[in-house]
Amino acid sequence: MSLPETRAATRPRRPLFQKYFAALFVAVVVPLLANGASEGWFGYRDQRVFLSQRLHSEATSAAGKIQGFLDDITDQLQWTVQLPWRDGMDERHRFDVLRLLRQVPAVLEITLVDGSGIERLHVSRVETDVVNSGVDRNNDPAVIGARAGRIWYGPVTLYAGSEPHMTLAVAGAREANGTTIAVVNLKLIWDVIMAIHIGQSGDAFVLDRSGRLVAHPDISLVLRGDDDPAAARLKQLQQKAIAGGGKTAEGSNAESRWVIAAMAPVPGPDWMAFVEEPTSEALTPIRAALWRTGMLLLAGALFAVALAYLLARRMTGPIALLEKGAEEIGAGHFAHKIEISTGDELEGLAQRFNAMAVELAVSQERSERIARLKRFLAPQVAELVEGSDQEALLDSHRAEVVVIFCDLRGFTSFSGAAAPEEVMGLLQEYYEALGAIITRYEATLTCFMGDGVMLLLNAPVPCPEPALRGVQMAVEMQDAVQTLIASWRGRGHTVGFGVGLAKGPATVGRIGYEGRNDYTAIGSVVNLASRICAAAEDGQIQIDATVAAELGEAFSLAPLGTRPLRGFAEAVPVFSVKPRDVDLATLPAAK
Amino acid sequence: MARNFTQRGYVVDGNIVFERRAAQGKPDRLPGLIDELVAKHVEVIITQGYPAAMAAKERAGKTPIVVTLSGDPVATGLAASLAHPGGNITGVSEVASELSAKRLALLKEAVPSVRAVAVLWNADDFGMSLRYQAAEVEAKRAGMMIVPLGVHAPDDFDTAFAEMTKKPPDAILMVTDILTVLNRKRVIDFAAEHRLPAIYEYANLTQDGGLMSYGPDVAAIFDRAAGLADRVLKGANPADLPLELPTRFELAVNLKTAKTLDLTIPETILVRADSVVE
Repeated sequence: MSLPETRAATRPRRPLFQKYFAALFVAVVVPLLANGASEGWFGYRDQRVFLSQRLHSEATSAAGKIQGFLDDITDQLQWTVQLPWRDGMDERHRFDVLRLLRQVPAVLEITLVDGSGIERLHVSRVETDVVNSGVDRNNDPAVIGARAGRIWYGPVTLYAGSEPHMTLAVAGAREANGTTIAVVNLKLIWDVIMAIHIGQSGDAFVLDRSGRLVAHPDISLVLRGDDDPAAARLKQLQQKAIAGGGKTAEGSNAESRWVIAAMAPVPGPDWMAFVEEPTSEALTPIRAALWRTGMLLLAGALFAVALAYLLARRMTGPIALLEKGAEEIGAGHFAHKIEISTGDELEGLAQRFNAMAVELAVSQERSERIARLKRFLAPQVAELVEGSDQEALLDSHRAEVVVIFCDLRGFTSFSGAAAPEEVMGLLQEYYEALGAIITRYEATLTCFMGDGVMLLLNAPVPCPEPALRGVQMAVEMQDAVQTLIASWRGRGHTVGFGVGLAKGPATVGRIGYEGRNDYTAIGSVVNLASRICAAAEDGQIQIDATVAAELGEAFSLAPLGTRPLRGFAEAVPVFSVKPRDVDLATLPAAK
Repeated sequence: MARNFTQRGYVVDGNIVFERRAAQGKPDRLPGLIDELVAKHVEVIITQGYPAAMAAKERAGKTPIVVTLSGDPVATGLAASLAHPGGNITGVSEVASELSAKRLALLKEAVPSVRAVAVLWNADDFGMSLRYQAAEVEAKRAGMMIVPLGVHAPDDFDTAFAEMTKKPPDAILMVTDILTVLNRKRVIDFAAEHRLPAIYEYANLTQDGGLMSYGPDVAAIFDRAAGLADRVLKGANPADLPLELPTRFELAVNLKTAKTLDLTIPETILVRADSVVE
């Protein structure tokens, strides 16, 4: 049992735990990641769309407020074109204008033109009033524009290259009511713009159709006039927004902050109202959502690690137990029990292992027993005894047995003179020759006594005609050993071989102690056989009367008369067997 | 002015300290006052009137200056343009001097009989002299006569009063700067005594007994000046802050004064008056 080598050789390069762990982890994490990534991506897209919509609606609202500022002014201007220019109405018109100037601070000056296009009144906050200047205003684009569309919005102009102003004109419902032209100080939109807040720090601004800054929370920026780099950046933002299909645009704002801007038209003057929100701020909800998704993914991954670890543990734990159990069983510890109670196939496998261990234990015990039996029984008899579960055969009992003794003559003097190797080599040849025959005749070998052997027939397993069988075996043994003796003589060793047989009742059974059991027979027949053997000469097979009586005609016997044998009170009749010219192989017991 | 700062989140003597200096009608003290402020390492100088602005521009070095009530800074050369004042000057400009003409026209509208108008102005203040010139142009256009009464020091008012007593005008137009404001009581009293209608620039002079006034809303001007000073204190470069023009103009009429003068102020004036003292 070379256990350490086995373990080292089969130590796996990639343990099952790692494989299971990796597989389970991947099985959990891949769908999780796919789900998280898709959720993140779609969430991001939805949020972007939502952001775009929100900014767009803010822009529309801002545009509405700007338009509202202008509408308030044009509504007021409408009052000045309610009445026609008839004689005596000049004072009335003048009052309308003066009242309007008080009510609408954004209007810097007003010019009234009568139905025929002649300027009738000019009132300014700064300049001196002019009454009935008589200037023909028919070619004034403001008058033409207002007549065409009731309300005309002029371009944004910069007073002294700084302050933005715009000319507004409204025409009366009837041509006779004339036209009112007003110059509006656009700086007052500031109040409107300042009131617009987008998110935390976003704001609004207004560009005219040429991209000139009309209104911005930073009034200084507006007053810096054209060609200001900050205003140019806003113009760029407008171009980006237009290029992007009028939706949101990202870019640098006046303060060089990166912003997302959306625009909406201010329909009257054809301006664009913009709302801008710092990108970092606008994307905060998106970032938060992505962060949440990321955290969930991380938590999921950690969960997957834990789950994969536990599951892999659950799968490989029993397998490790099985492996250990197999090792233990392999090491011969059949009492080892593999304790697995997973309720699944692994438990079944463990039970099979345990059952196998039990069977192995039984089997080993059996083979050990057979090995023990083989010490004195012929292998086939041993198998028979073991296999038929007839160990009771080995129990002590009285039986009619044939006892066979045989030994070499002159061996003691030979062994005293010869080299030990020579002695042992000779004995080896001798016993190999005898062993084959003893096995064939299924004789029970009770013990070796140096160069002698004691054999039994009919015990523990009964056999038919034990006496005949014993004699046949003795003849074969004599033949075989005589052949050996002939070759030994060639080598100069002078030994002989004699055999003695006797039949009679004897007590048979196992004697000995734990681990050293022998099977033997006890009774006078044993002594008789031993004495007869001792009396036999080289090449002789001597038998007692009982054996001789049972041989029948198979062998020719030579009665040797009665002989006094030591230990026997009376002289015993002894016979010598002379083999006839019979083919031993045809005898039934030789098979 | 302090209130304008507190409205912007400042705490006076907390995170903002004011160093107030006044020449009290003596312009020759201005350079010394500016030097004092520079020595105190003030972060921004807010001036009132052209002489103070000029002194600051000449002596304040790199200290940002926010000018107020100094006439038209572009016309006086204080600043290169409204949009890009240049140097370290920003502030609130005034609508080009033509407001003087407007005042003359309003005076004429209120009291149509007026022909000869005495114009009282600080002749040392270039900004105010430009206003005087604008009035002169308008008078010529409207067929009126101007009696120029330039003053340089408080004592000059007596000379001016003597002149008007000797040769009474129909009305007075007082170009308002620190010098004339400090002596407003004398002017208002003189006008009342000699039953002369007078027009001033700022509404507070009407409340003090002047007949009428027309000019930008001073409170709004100071508020914007505070706004610009605030930007400067927060790190803005004054060169990036355009000069702002006043957006609101106030017409104020004192009907009590009108009554003492036996004047009936026409409706066309009253309808546009932002404040009327009754």
